[in-house]
Amino acid sequence: MQRVFMMAAGPIAALALGAAVASSPAAANPYEKYEGTTIVVSWPALSHFQKAETLVEEFTEETGIEVEIDALQYLKLRDRQILEMSKREGEYDVVSWVVMWKGEYVSKGLLTPLSQMFTNGALVDPAYDIDDIADAYLQNGGIVGGKKGYMPGKSGGLYGIPFGAETSIMAYRKDLLEQAGIEPPKTYDELRAALPVIKEKTGVGALTSRGKTGHQVTAGWLLHLAPLGGKIFDDNWNPVFNNAAGVEAAQIMREITQTGPTGIPSYGFSEASAAFLQGDAAMYIDTLKIAAMSRDPKLSKVDGKVGFALHPVGSRCGSETGGFAVGIPANSQNKEAAFLFIQYITSKAGDKRMVELGGDPIRISTIEHFAEQFPEYPVVAEQLPCADPDWRPLIPEWNELNIDVLGQALTEVITTDKPIQPIMDAAAEKARAIMEREGYYAWSDYRRQ
Amino acid sequence: MAESSASRVNVIEQPRFDTRVLTPYFFILPAVLVMMAGLLYPVIDAFYLSFFDWKIGTPFSKAEHVGLDNYARMLGDPDVWESLWVTFRFGFWTISIEMILGVALALMLEKPIRGASVFRTIFILPLMVSPVVVGLIWRYLFDARVGWVNYYLGQWFGIEPQVWLGDADLAFFAIVFTDIWQWTPFIFIIVIAGLQALPSEVLEASRIDGANWWQQIFLVKLPMIRSILVIALLMRLIDVFRALEVMYIMTGGGPGRATELLSLHIYNRAFDAQLLGYASAISVLLIVIVFLLSLGILLLSNPMKDKSDV
Amino acid sequence: MTGVVLREVVKAFGPVIVIPKLDLTIDEGEFVVIVGPSGCGKSTTLRMIAGLEMVSAGSIHIAGREVTHAAPKARDIAMVFQSYALYPHMNVAGNMSFALRLAGTPKAEIEERVRRAADMLELTPYLDRKPKDLSGGQRQRVAMGRSIVRDAYCFLFDEPLSNLDAKLRATMRTELALLHKRLERTMVYVTHDQIEAMTMADRIVIMEGGIIQQVGSPREVYTAPSNLFVAGFIGSPSMNLLAGELTEQNGALRVRGTGFDLPVPERMRSRASAAASRDVVVGLRPEHFAARNGGDGELAPIRLEVDVAEYIGSSQFLAAQVGEQHVTASVDVGPDAAPLTSGEYFFDSDRLYLFDRDSGQAL
Repeated sequence: MQRVFMMAAGPIAALALGAAVASSPAAANPYEKYEGTTIVVSWPALSHFQKAETLVEEFTEETGIEVEIDALQYLKLRDRQILEMSKREGEYDVVSWVVMWKGEYVSKGLLTPLSQMFTNGALVDPAYDIDDIADAYLQNGGIVGGKKGYMPGKSGGLYGIPFGAETSIMAYRKDLLEQAGIEPPKTYDELRAALPVIKEKTGVGALTSRGKTGHQVTAGWLLHLAPLGGKIFDDNWNPVFNNAAGVEAAQIMREITQTGPTGIPSYGFSEASAAFLQGDAAMYIDTLKIAAMSRDPKLSKVDGKVGFALHPVGSRCGSETGGFAVGIPANSQNKEAAFLFIQYITSKAGDKRMVELGGDPIRISTIEHFAEQFPEYPVVAEQLPCADPDWRPLIPEWNELNIDVLGQALTEVITTDKPIQPIMDAAAEKARAIMEREGYYAWSDYRRQ
Repeated sequence: MAESSASRVNVIEQPRFDTRVLTPYFFILPAVLVMMAGLLYPVIDAFYLSFFDWKIGTPFSKAEHVGLDNYARMLGDPDVWESLWVTFRFGFWTISIEMILGVALALMLEKPIRGASVFRTIFILPLMVSPVVVGLIWRYLFDARVGWVNYYLGQWFGIEPQVWLGDADLAFFAIVFTDIWQWTPFIFIIVIAGLQALPSEVLEASRIDGANWWQQIFLVKLPMIRSILVIALLMRLIDVFRALEVMYIMTGGGPGRATELLSLHIYNRAFDAQLLGYASAISVLLIVIVFLLSLGILLLSNPMKDKSDV
Repeated sequence: MTGVVLREVVKAFGPVIVIPKLDLTIDEGEFVVIVGPSGCGKSTTLRMIAGLEMVSAGSIHIAGREVTHAAPKARDIAMVFQSYALYPHMNVAGNMSFALRLAGTPKAEIEERVRRAADMLELTPYLDRKPKDLSGGQRQRVAMGRSIVRDAYCFLFDEPLSNLDAKLRATMRTELALLHKRLERTMVYVTHDQIEAMTMADRIVIMEGGIIQQVGSPREVYTAPSNLFVAGFIGSPSMNLLAGELTEQNGALRVRGTGFDLPVPERMRSRASAAASRDVVVGLRPEHFAARNGGDGELAPIRLEVDVAEYIGSSQFLAAQVGEQHVTASVDVGPDAAPLTSGEYFFDSDRLYLFDRDSGQAL
């Protein structure tokens, strides 16, 4: 566990504030009331958050609100947060969750609805402009209780603001595609046509992908499922991933494996990325983080040769979104100060500052602002409207489905030559059995009676 | 003590329970308590848990009591049986090859030939490496893209790069190979210790009786260290059912369930699929299997039986 | 040439020479006991005959065949070890028949030979038992049985009785002697116990420091020890060795030391006179002391200061002093005599031994 105390800047900030108040007594400082308050923030010890520490220092300096960061290993984060938030008076004032956890947190009543804060005119910065935040990010990370419980919809409410969110894009080797005489594929048809050509003409693997048994291979497949028009479940929780779109996505996974860098069935995220970064694959479709990684000389041998394009389109455009959002526990003792903190780090200025510090943006204005500087940003800006928050179901049973059912079936797909449809059908049967066991068909059964 | 002096005074009195017979039990009590706390408690707890449907992160008080559902599901779950089959195949190949190789190496390096001690030290090095590190080392060696195995196979034999950890048969081979690499030294050490403790006169007697090198090994040396071989076999067998870290790191059980040993299957069920109750039920199955196997081996060949050998 | 012959055999372990040069001829059918203290090289010699140790130089011949570099199994020998060296995983029959099975002897013949050997050694009821279920004496018999079944040309014994208790050892000695008579095989037996050597051997080889000190029948080595080492080693209790000086008195040769003055027997006179030095060691066997002079008065008087008189039945065993030197004496006075005290005793001077004090050789 890593605890960072940010205190040093406090007195200086107080002095500066005092001067400001003296010069214009009419403009009351919105932070004044909370000066000296200490809020505790729980977030993961990941790159984006480590870079945010500078922004946090600046926040304390400007507002006089002390921030104590409890940065935990990603895997331990959830258990610790649930423990704290289940107490009557919790220690945490701000928590950061992976979008997958949001439903559980809200259903257990652990989070404060942000509407409680946005109704407080004294707190909300008029310049905050929530509509500037990429809608896909906001819906995916912050809105809970809509359709299916995790999708946007009128029954939903806002519980968090995305922070450290990401989406999928395509990265490619300009030199290799040129060598193969191929334009970056815009559609899945083009992609499928390009795979063998690239392999044949350049001798380099075409598209890298995750493929290791379990959630990795499922993640690789899911990237293609949504654009091809597929889903895991229909609206009545019937598994539909064995329909034409699901099978086509699986077929593509098989083709990717056959034409890609050697060893895709053993790749996790880092292996798949490394294959691209070290020059063993011509294309990459996954998180936009590949852009920053390709510029890092410690990781990359391909800096300068990488171009970015939209995630190819199938029957629709659909990229994956994910990452983190921040919100306020229901048992926080400093909700207003916590809100001010969240508002600060996700404001237009804060978001720009995050990019300067090396983090990932959430606002369209930020992306546009830096479009010149980072070649992937225009692509991201264009990609975000396509982001599909329903690229996989956020239900507790997803773990088992993801790892035990799909993770196994897709391994069979990519490591054998067996017909795909029966494999996917069998997996769908298993999925149905799980959903049946967990009572998801209660409503449809009831109707049928 | 009071009891005994009393009975000495009055010999007619019925001999009463002599508390001194409890003394030995008193002495083993601490060991028993430690065993209970360290071994029995987790086992019993797993057994208890196997009657619940408990998901990680939710309070146990909310877990649903499901009776024998987990067991019923387990018995009908082809994944469990596949994983068990993988475990048995893994055990068969690793243990038989390790035994043969370990014994052969021990026989080769038993004599104080020049450099034997250097070789002995080198051979036991893999034992000193923690399983996690072993997993990492071999994961990178077998890496399809940058691994040495593919590199040298290509350099020396012109063999196309193989997806060692992503092909069902190759991945199985890879974990068997890694296990052999790591655990042959264990057999080697145990056997060489056993061989060196053999009375030299018996071996000389066999030379005079006319045994050649092979006959001496198979008719005299190996039968004489039989109890050691049985113990080594037993320990390896139990290890096979405990093996987790190396496969977890190398393949995670994949591709498919090709390398998912029962313990890894339990781990994946418990912590990936988050089915704690179900995983506990499979753990109970594992304990029963290991218990039966160990019992079987001990019945066939009890190493304690030959304690009074010359 | 038959028997077992060692010719100019040298054995060195690295730079350490344990046997400088050894020549020994053992006749066919002879029972030879090699005796000496620990580390004298007797076991090494036996193991070289067995082929368990290779000679550093010289040659070994068994039954007229050179076997210097032959493997143990090619030497037609059988060996019984101190620890019995039974195969713990085989039963008695298995132990006894192992060599025959290896040699591919027909099954019926193996059974017959094992049966005969077991009969001879009274092991028949135990044929199915494992060694761990046998007593020490029974194990010893099995070890011998294993050799007997082999029907080898030469039997080698490496201190086979030293793990047995005293009573059993005496019995086994007799049995071994009987066995030799029955089998009429060449036997080489190594021990540190001179009683075993004396009781069983046709000939005794006494070794010390890797060198053979004397080879001879038990009688020879007892009555005519060739040097001080043999004199002190053979005989129980061992010979008293006192420093003395040869003197001539009235034409008679006498040997004189502090507290004693004994005549040199007639048979030694010429050699004693010719001796290079007057300084000698006198050897007096404890059993040649007497409390009274014989009827002819032929015994020489000698004064013993008795420290302790131990009653051992028909005789008494004295720890005494002659002059300043400790001696032991075993005096036959019958079971009813009172404990003996200091005074004048007698010694059969015909049986005294003289050794050159410098070379240690007998005169």
